[in-house]
Amino acid sequence: MTAPTTRLALRLRLVSTISAGAGLIAVQIVVGALFPAVGHTIGKLDIPKGVAQLLGGADYGTITGWFRSEIASIYGPLVIGAMAIVSASAITAGEEQDGILALVLAHPVPRSRLIAAKGAAVAVVVVAIAVTTWIGMLCGVAIGGGGIALGHVTAYALSLAFFGFAIGALALALGAGTGDRSLTGGVAAAVGILGWLIYGFAPLVSALGWLRYLSLFYYYAEHDPLTRGVGAVDLLVLAAFAAVMVVVAMVGMERRDLRG
Amino acid sequence: MTSTVTPAIATAGLTKDYGSGRGLFGLDLEVEAGEVFGFLGPNGAGKSTTMRLLLDLIRPSAGSARILGLDTVADSLAIRRRVGFLPGDLALYPKLTGRAVLDYLARLRGGVDPHVRDGLVARFEADLDRPVHELSTGNRQKLGLIQAFMHEPELLILDEPIAGLDPLVQQSFHALLAEVSAQGRTVFLSSHTLSEVERVTHRLAILRQGRLVVVDSLENLRRVAVQRLDIEFSVPVAADEFRSLPGVTEVTVDGATVTVAFAGSADAVVKAAARHQVQAIRPRETDLEDIFLRYYRAGAPG
Repeated sequence: MTAPTTRLALRLRLVSTISAGAGLIAVQIVVGALFPAVGHTIGKLDIPKGVAQLLGGADYGTITGWFRSEIASIYGPLVIGAMAIVSASAITAGEEQDGILALVLAHPVPRSRLIAAKGAAVAVVVVAIAVTTWIGMLCGVAIGGGGIALGHVTAYALSLAFFGFAIGALALALGAGTGDRSLTGGVAAAVGILGWLIYGFAPLVSALGWLRYLSLFYYYAEHDPLTRGVGAVDLLVLAAFAAVMVVVAMVGMERRDLRG
Repeated sequence: MTSTVTPAIATAGLTKDYGSGRGLFGLDLEVEAGEVFGFLGPNGAGKSTTMRLLLDLIRPSAGSARILGLDTVADSLAIRRRVGFLPGDLALYPKLTGRAVLDYLARLRGGVDPHVRDGLVARFEADLDRPVHELSTGNRQKLGLIQAFMHEPELLILDEPIAGLDPLVQQSFHALLAEVSAQGRTVFLSSHTLSEVERVTHRLAILRQGRLVVVDSLENLRRVAVQRLDIEFSVPVAADEFRSLPGVTEVTVDGATVTVAFAGSADAVVKAAARHQVQAIRPRETDLEDIFLRYYRAGAPG
């Protein structure tokens, strides 16, 4: 009953997902190709600690630091976050505001199952982006002369996917709970960006250091999977957050009036 | 109204209060199985709100409704299996072709006979190969009608079904309604103009500002309708002679012909006319739009 909904949502996101994935591969190939010439020249930047944190350590002298700064600190989470938010928002609040959900929900499908089916579609988009990031990074690292273990690249892609699940589930909860596309996109993006800033700057103020634990970005980046491999606890936190958000989305949609 | 058969729709004090006087208030309505029931009212009267309440897209502030004997909130899923719905301001996935939209909705519902669907497509001459965003309003509406009818539901809830349909398609639609009704299935359709539905409805309700104004058969409504007589005299006569007569609502003069609109008995009008030399008296067909507008404006017949 719900598989058609997942398939349709994916069909409607196919072009943007392929474009984003192809972009991720292309960018990482270029980033890898630039490392031998540029990375060693820049070396480790001497910049304020918070800014360095936001740039993934700003250590351009090693290939791990190079990819952490060029891809893992901004580009990867930005693309997966944007894709997750846009997808989740479009297939929940977007369809509702366009009036399509009024017709879909007149069919014999429980609202919570419809939301679960749409959540599954967002998860597939996120996995596709994470897989293309993984492929792109393997290509980029090989072109850059190697130096990051397959297992660590895989661990990074896993972190990225779980970050995408968390942000996507948040957008799903907002979209399903409010039916407001602008609010969904705005709040989910704000949570993501604020989390990134808090992760970088909160530690600089000792009294606010605890704030970073509230940032999704902390659980994505702090373990540094490119160096240390899989961080199971961090993945678990992101997964738990995503699971709670999916439940909130299902309950929120079930309880309210449809817009329009 | 009492009936041994479960009504297709029964509402009791059904209310959806949006504040500032907007919404639906205390709707008590019963639609019998097999009826084609017209639900009329100006834009914003509460027609769509009622239909959305029946489909559980929104929840009542007070009161309740039963569809095919089932509660619209508690048994919504079971109801939606047995109901076909055409929303007002129909929206479909703009990038998908008509075929892909119908395929998706059929899979979502399950149990759609492809022969029935194909029959409806042929009947409405629907274009299934172009993306929805390239279709005219009328062609999109055809898709809406096909999806509402394709699982042969026991009850059809159609919000402004005729909007955008050309006259030929309207005829096909009316024929389909007659067939559905003959099969004992029920149709509950809304419109903001009576002429769209008067040929097909058995009974109708008029809603105004969220409140039910009247429920009756077309025959009974015709009985209290304003009648019009064209009276042709040998020489022009003064319109004022007719204006003051009991029941007369409007008098117009065109040369030697006076057109008198009146409610109730024609006696006074005919007697007043008989004071002059009359060439011809021609009754005009009762214009239901007149009473309809009267209910719209006044909220109750004057």
